[in-house]
Amino acid sequence: METNIESEAYQTFVEATQTLNNTELKNWKRDGGKVVGYFCSTVPEEVFTAAGLAPFRMRATGSTNTELSDACFSNINCSFPRHAMNLALEGEFDFLDGMVCLNSCDHVRRIYDNWIRNLDTHFVKVMSLPRKVEQPQIEWYDDEIKILIKDVEESFDVEITQEKLNDAIKLHNEVRELQKEVFRLRTVENPPLNGVEALNVIVAGTAIPKARYKVLLEQFLKDMEGVKGKGGHRVRVMIVGGELDDPEFINVIENEGALVVTDSTCFGTRLFWRPVSESYDDPVTALANYYIFDRPSCPRMTGDQERRMDFTLEMAKEFKVDGVIGERLLFCDQWSVEHYMNNNDLKKAGIPFLQIDREYILSGKGQLSTRVQAFIETLEGKGIKYEEVV
Amino acid sequence: MIVAGIDLGSATGKAVVMKNGEIAGAAVLSSTTNPHNTAELVLNQAIEKAGLSSINQIDNIISTGYGRLNISYAEDNLSEISCHAKGAHWMVPSIRTVIDVGGQDCKVISVSPKGTVLEFKMNDRCAAGTGRFFEAMARALCCGLDGISAMENQGDDPCPISNQCSVFAESEVVTLVNDGIKLEDIIAGINMSVASRLTSMSRRVGIVDEVALTGGCSKNLGLAAALEKKIKTKIVHLPYDPQIAGALGASLFAAERLELRLQNEKEAVNQ
Repeated sequence: METNIESEAYQTFVEATQTLNNTELKNWKRDGGKVVGYFCSTVPEEVFTAAGLAPFRMRATGSTNTELSDACFSNINCSFPRHAMNLALEGEFDFLDGMVCLNSCDHVRRIYDNWIRNLDTHFVKVMSLPRKVEQPQIEWYDDEIKILIKDVEESFDVEITQEKLNDAIKLHNEVRELQKEVFRLRTVENPPLNGVEALNVIVAGTAIPKARYKVLLEQFLKDMEGVKGKGGHRVRVMIVGGELDDPEFINVIENEGALVVTDSTCFGTRLFWRPVSESYDDPVTALANYYIFDRPSCPRMTGDQERRMDFTLEMAKEFKVDGVIGERLLFCDQWSVEHYMNNNDLKKAGIPFLQIDREYILSGKGQLSTRVQAFIETLEGKGIKYEEVV
Repeated sequence: MIVAGIDLGSATGKAVVMKNGEIAGAAVLSSTTNPHNTAELVLNQAIEKAGLSSINQIDNIISTGYGRLNISYAEDNLSEISCHAKGAHWMVPSIRTVIDVGGQDCKVISVSPKGTVLEFKMNDRCAAGTGRFFEAMARALCCGLDGISAMENQGDDPCPISNQCSVFAESEVVTLVNDGIKLEDIIAGINMSVASRLTSMSRRVGIVDEVALTGGCSKNLGLAAALEKKIKTKIVHLPYDPQIAGALGASLFAAERLELRLQNEKEAVNQ
């Protein structure tokens, strides 16, 4: 995937996105640091930073098959947990000192069950995320975070003080603000970075220790100053969906002429568009409020679709998109009905919508290209631009 | 002005040659493993039928279909969605919905009064409800595609057949055969299962009259009848072979683009 960005920081991001155990993580471990992997962006990674651990968001980058994990999953399970578990069984996650799972969906939560039976990672926990986004659920998650803090303290023999939590929240918020700055570069007609490059920046942020990532991000923003804007695209699109960490998927879309300018995904704006409030007395309360209510939710949260759509529309407006592409991993029950609603709501708002079902490992490029090409043709003057002339 | 459209599909290649806004020649051929060859063969047939002798007599060519990138002499390529909408709309301008059932895809397209695409839905990545599905069923029933299509074979009591997966549906059909179920009811069940899949896709786009059925599977009379029952609306009879709708659309785009180019050249000279 070609780039016109000349930046060492960007090269580091690309390496971190294309691998699991990246160079920055290896350096961290070499210096005695520990790493905790976690599934799902609703796990409060600030807790790990506060404990002096490096949080690592689980992916299945580089997986090519699911031979080992298919024995403990079924073939109507989502391909993401199947590939991730397969890598775990192959030993690709042996660099982890801990793994925290969450009942984000019925496919991913089974990783916990399979993990404790098959692997001997030092620290393995599962958190319980409630379904609704109201006060009783915020209190529930407050308890869950407290349990996680206690477990981490005991297992890693550290003390997570309020001060350390406040510092972690501050650091993560600073990173969020920088990520927003990167994304705002894309509001202009010819953005200096495309969707592939933006995804590399954000995925890397879930795989490089936070303080180090912040330094790299500042450097990256400086390096972006002289970068020429990207031209030649036919339309501007936004991606709405879930676990999308694969720049190659975006590349296929952009090769057809649709520049990806923003998103609402959990390797995208939903991670950083809103900050954790720093006005609560208790940092745990702040985290509970943030992960249940303040940040844009995932469709697994019940009764919150309206706010999710408001967020999609907010992004679509700010980034001046011509259309929205909804992506969904095959067999994902959360996103199936959500995209049906997205389709209807966006139609009302006058924004065309295309739904793409995909596998975790990119396949069927021809079919994807055809759909995107047809979508672009639909967006271009709702037909073909020169039609008015003829 | 002579233009052509080539639609290289997964199962067949189609070509249409148009002379001064009318179809002068059209051809349909089974796809070979070499897309270049398929394109050349089918285009040459259409050229011959148009009473022409060489590709050099054609002023502009647009390609579409899965093999659309393999045709070097095409000026440009467009998706088969835009082309099917354009082609069907040209045949019958009152068409607002096109249901295209091809070899490995099915799609429902909402068409504007101008013949452009408003919205479309395509099958997910599975062959159920496509030509490949019918081929597999015809094999399992040893009745050929004509046997699936024939109206006299559409039984009154269609068997329920899974519309989820071609491979499983085939085993299901084998079971029904072994259970001694009437062939006609199995055939009616097969067509009904595809029709019901197309109906739910249509509901996502919204069915607006009039409705056209295009693509190779439009020749399946049993499917058309089942679909009419499911979507509760009549399918318009197209005055030309519905299988060439994509290639026709491509040739119409070729004409539009050529006209635009000539007009721009004329304006440039006048200035």
